[in-house]
Amino acid sequence: MASKHTIATRHAQGIRARFASRFLRSLLRLRRSGNRFGGSQSNDEGIGKRIRTDRIKIAAYAAMARAVGPRRTWSRALLFKLRNRARIHGVSRKRCLVSEKKRVTRNKVVAISSREPSRADTLRKLVPGGDSMDTCVLLEETAHYIKCLATQVTVMQSIADRLLL
Amino acid sequence: MESEYFFNAGVPPQALLFEQTSTSSSMPIWQSHSSPMEMQDNCSAHRLFNSTWEKSTGHGPHLESTLSSMVSSPGVANRNVSGESFMELIGKLGNIGNSNNPGEISPHSQPMLAASYFTTANNSANTSCYTTPLSSPPKLNMPAMDQFSKEHLNIPSLGKPMGLNSSVAEFTADPGFAERAAKFSCFGSRSFNGRISQLGLNNAEMAKGCNPMMGNGKLPRVASSPLLKAAESQKRDRSSPLQDRSDLTNSQESSVSEQIPSGEAGVKASNELNSRKRKALSRGKTKESASNPPVNATKDAETDENSNAKRIKPNEGEENEIDPVKAEEEPKGSGDDSQNKANSKPPEPPKDYIHVRARRGQATDSHSLAERVRREKISERMKLLQDLVPGCNKVTGKALMLDEIINYVQSLQRQVEFLSMKLASVNTRLDFNMDTLISKDMFQSSQPLPHPMFPSDSSASAAIFGHQQQPNPPLHSNISNMDPLDTAGLCRNLNTQLPPLDGFTQNAHQYPTFCEDDLQTIVQMGFGQNPSLETFPPQNFQGSNQVSHMKIEL
Repeated sequence: MASKHTIATRHAQGIRARFASRFLRSLLRLRRSGNRFGGSQSNDEGIGKRIRTDRIKIAAYAAMARAVGPRRTWSRALLFKLRNRARIHGVSRKRCLVSEKKRVTRNKVVAISSREPSRADTLRKLVPGGDSMDTCVLLEETAHYIKCLATQVTVMQSIADRLLL
Repeated sequence: MESEYFFNAGVPPQALLFEQTSTSSSMPIWQSHSSPMEMQDNCSAHRLFNSTWEKSTGHGPHLESTLSSMVSSPGVANRNVSGESFMELIGKLGNIGNSNNPGEISPHSQPMLAASYFTTANNSANTSCYTTPLSSPPKLNMPAMDQFSKEHLNIPSLGKPMGLNSSVAEFTADPGFAERAAKFSCFGSRSFNGRISQLGLNNAEMAKGCNPMMGNGKLPRVASSPLLKAAESQKRDRSSPLQDRSDLTNSQESSVSEQIPSGEAGVKASNELNSRKRKALSRGKTKESASNPPVNATKDAETDENSNAKRIKPNEGEENEIDPVKAEEEPKGSGDDSQNKANSKPPEPPKDYIHVRARRGQATDSHSLAERVRREKISERMKLLQDLVPGCNKVTGKALMLDEIINYVQSLQRQVEFLSMKLASVNTRLDFNMDTLISKDMFQSSQPLPHPMFPSDSSASAAIFGHQQQPNPPLHSNISNMDPLDTAGLCRNLNTQLPPLDGFTQNAHQYPTFCEDDLQTIVQMGFGQNPSLETFPPQNFQGSNQVSHMKIEL
């Protein structure tokens, strides 16, 4: 019945359903893994909560990007970033720090060499993968990204509300 | 004698440059060459060549004789010059060639440089390491000069450059010069291509006949760059030769193309239509090349774009004195330059990559067309975004709209962060069976939601429905005390315990998820958030959520 509904409704709803299922699944996974070392989390509640927040956020973005698939530039960039992040995290923590330092310096150089940032550049920073887009593509991707973010917020809101009950 | 005078004046290089190049290129260039040049101390040279110019133009039949005398003179002049001064000349030449942007050098001066480079390059062809880059400039410039002299002056001057070379053959080459010559050769080849494509096949053939090694010198350079394609396309489509070249060439070509009509207008007034067309085209192209900076000087070209446009004007003014035909052209050209719009007489736009037609009064060169297409696209996307972003309909202007969009994206991202934080806190506090939630959420999310813009301020929606919960105070305790595993029955419980809710969901059927979410938000937030709203009757909330939102804002 659900699949029938998905077919019948518009494409955005398909994305919505896919995102919801993926996100819930990853939430479940996170929760299970969190339960595994739940004893240590009770010691420092703040740090553990922050880490969990980050993880859930990343899971939400990843679920969104996977629901959209690789046909959009922003989702492709997001997936690429997540994959890289997973790879780096898998190797070691130090490597990640070093690479981040490198990235920061490179970004600084680029920022100095280029002109002062305009509004389009601000938007470019917000939309994933926006660095490589020209203005036309950027606006198009922004439109789609906004749609997907709104869907994401809706779904997450409903899930959070239901979990809090 | 002449050379001595130039040494005293402090401008030996330029003077020498004029002297040498005058033999190979046509007379009208001198005027335009010396006038817009920004080198500091060429006033004397300017005067000198003004006089020669007046002589040559004032007495048409004298032109030939002047030129022939000039042809004979450089040998003498060069013999007087010492090697060091020649080096100096070359050094200045190198500076000119290196800068190579349309702003600093007037377009007319470039062919002259090419010619002089040609001679100097042949001198230092003995040096071993730089033979390849040095050998290419002669191949480039020889046909150009020959063509020039043949076309405008009706003097077959094939042998002249050779004579020049022999006269200055004793000068050695210093490494700095060799470097500059090598640098020059790269754009020299471009100018050559441009000229070939513009002047047509007979010119190319003549160039080949004049120098059999031309093909060898030209081919590798061209193969590495997309110029060959451009040249071929120009040969195919002669009607719009400059448009195709616009993005891959630098100011050199534009200067070449501009120079020809001026020379033609000076000598043959009958060719006025053709020359005007070409000149207009080339003027558009100088602008384009300024915006598309050449390889050697990228930043200067951009900054000097305006000055380039300015510098063309005095040049034209001097041409006006020469030729009354140009006077009609001049205001048109200056208007074009100032407005950054192309000529009013439209050349055929290339049909390859732009499929837009300009309306009346709009610019028609390819860059303007492309820019217009881009702008239209952007405004289209902006309209799309305007529908997506709330509150974007009120603001006018793209900048404000972009601000609004940025704010909205940021707020959405912040909401995601906040919600994930909330979920993280939920994760620890409650132990849910999420599998049931998955199935339920799948079912719920597959329901149609025509309004994807979920009102993010949950407190407001909570306040809306806050008083609905007033008649059912035990609901909150019921739900919070409920067994967390029984999430599947949650909805049903809610619906049965809240009779007005059923009616609401039936009436506003298009917002099922919305009201459900809101209800749960209420439960979470508690009641009595906005006590002033409690006086509202329940039927108010059966309308759309926008109505209730408006009431909240009151």
